[in-house]
Amino acid sequence: MAEVTTEEKKETQPGTGSLSVDALEAEDVLAGAEEWSSTETWLVLGSFIAAIIALFIGLLVVPTSVLH
Amino acid sequence: MAQYPERKWYSGMLSTEDWWAVWIAVGFFMISLLNIWGIDLVGWMTYPTKWVFNPPEGGKGAISQAFYALGKKYSVSAKGFYKGLGWWSVIWSYVIFGTALTIGAAFMKWNVKRFVGGFTIIYFLTIAIWFIGHHAFIAATKVNMHKYGLNFALNLGGGGSFILALIVGLIIGNFFKGFAKYLSEAAKPEWYIKTAIVTLGVKLGYLPIKLSAFSQKLGKQAADLTFDLFVAGAAATVVAYLIFWPGVYVISRKIFKLPRKTAAVLGSGISICGVSAAVATGGAVRAKPVVSIMVSALVVVWAVIELIILPGFFTHVWPGTKDPLVAGASMGMAVKTDGADAAAGELLDEFMRTKIEIETNGAVKWPEGIITASAVMTKVWIDMFIGIWAFVLALVWVYKFERRPGERVPASEVWHRFPKFVIGYFFCWFFLLAIYFGPGQGGAPEAMPFLKTVKAGAVPVEKGMRKLFFMLTFLSLGIITDFKKLKEAQFGKMVWVYFVALFGFIIPVAIIIGYLFHHGMTLPNIAQYMK
Repeated sequence: MAEVTTEEKKETQPGTGSLSVDALEAEDVLAGAEEWSSTETWLVLGSFIAAIIALFIGLLVVPTSVLH
Repeated sequence: MAQYPERKWYSGMLSTEDWWAVWIAVGFFMISLLNIWGIDLVGWMTYPTKWVFNPPEGGKGAISQAFYALGKKYSVSAKGFYKGLGWWSVIWSYVIFGTALTIGAAFMKWNVKRFVGGFTIIYFLTIAIWFIGHHAFIAATKVNMHKYGLNFALNLGGGGSFILALIVGLIIGNFFKGFAKYLSEAAKPEWYIKTAIVTLGVKLGYLPIKLSAFSQKLGKQAADLTFDLFVAGAAATVVAYLIFWPGVYVISRKIFKLPRKTAAVLGSGISICGVSAAVATGGAVRAKPVVSIMVSALVVVWAVIELIILPGFFTHVWPGTKDPLVAGASMGMAVKTDGADAAAGELLDEFMRTKIEIETNGAVKWPEGIITASAVMTKVWIDMFIGIWAFVLALVWVYKFERRPGERVPASEVWHRFPKFVIGYFFCWFFLLAIYFGPGQGGAPEAMPFLKTVKAGAVPVEKGMRKLFFMLTFLSLGIITDFKKLKEAQFGKMVWVYFVALFGFIIPVAIIIGYLFHHGMTLPNIAQYMK
């Protein structure tokens, strides 16, 4: 019963900005990987594409880049 | 239960390390400006100089002068008074900085009694290490060792003190854990480094003023260089981070089969600025607190390992003194946590300047602080990016992965995640630049008497205070770093994710991007103006 309470407590205490929470068990946070989803593909690809665009613009605009 | 509590824009101004770094550093900076009106209230700041047990006849290095008040050299209005302080400047600095920090600790509701006790020990330990690290055998180079009557020196410059502070801290943190625990209330590397970074803003703003004393052209060159670093750092950071995060996320998910939330927190912790990014992302994706805690612990340990390896690698393997700013910028993108990054940048600065001086037999000397600035510049942009990225991830998790009905992510989260010490850094930098270009007339000869009064205030802050806070950071970082954490079985997988992501992905990408935006940038040579 107590374990359930602790678990529930952790579930309802998401990252709050404090590192003082005293629960330090790894348990299931390393296990139980979900299936890769299309949203993740979108997130990852979107970020890479944004990086390429930013790189292209940056190299053109920044006067100290290797293109100048 | 609301995920995002209602907070005023000014919340935390008196209760967070970020803001207190601003109050303390900007406070001393503003006090330093009283020099313009002939009032020097900062000349007491202590600074070490190289020493030996038996200085040669007519040479340098008497122990009695190993610490001095910076006002002795730079004050315009009270040089005589500060000249007499000598070693007493150590006590003055302890009392005044100790009081300012204790006020901050009290507002942050820390245990004041333990803070004062811990800070007293950390401060005097720092001074002792600083003193030892400035023995000419450690700090002198082959260019100047003869002045101290030596035929051999380790050529470490000021970097020797930093390494020594880190080693002493690590010994305390790993072998005297009870003592380390007692000190923990005052071992606050993030607070000290944020304060030091704000004073680095003073350093950047002061650089053109300093170099104008040599020549007006050189001052202008320094102002342009800092602006170039500002722009290049911003571009490099945005590109790097947009590559880092998804890369680490894919490594965590595809290779190490970690759950989404853990991968997201790890992605931010390894990619961005370590602890604060891990915590911010943990909050955004609603990961269990244990994830942020584990990642944060790993970040600190790995950052210290990077701090030990990278400055030496960049100085002696690649790119060396040919591309010092590529090295600095890459460091800023690769080393996590503000503390370890700025500390690594400072170490790199010392190593590079010492190396170029040795390589050219003193014909080339670089002004100190610019390489550190290149490392910090990328880091502050990354820090600013944390809030935006945490906001994006919160949107993705709330509206896509978990579809939490009725929950809203307020845009104000971006502000609440914003690293406030960055405001102090830019404030000091631009304030001094405004003085330089305004009443300082861009370093014109007729404005030099005025700029000299500005210098009298700026130097103690950008040199004495900044270096002292770096030293406090190195020691504190060591004290809170527990290598045993890497051995703990529960960290096993995360340690490997971190290792693979850092050395196989983050560092190489950081180097490439640092090169693309900083290759060929040169530092001004001030050798001809130095004695």
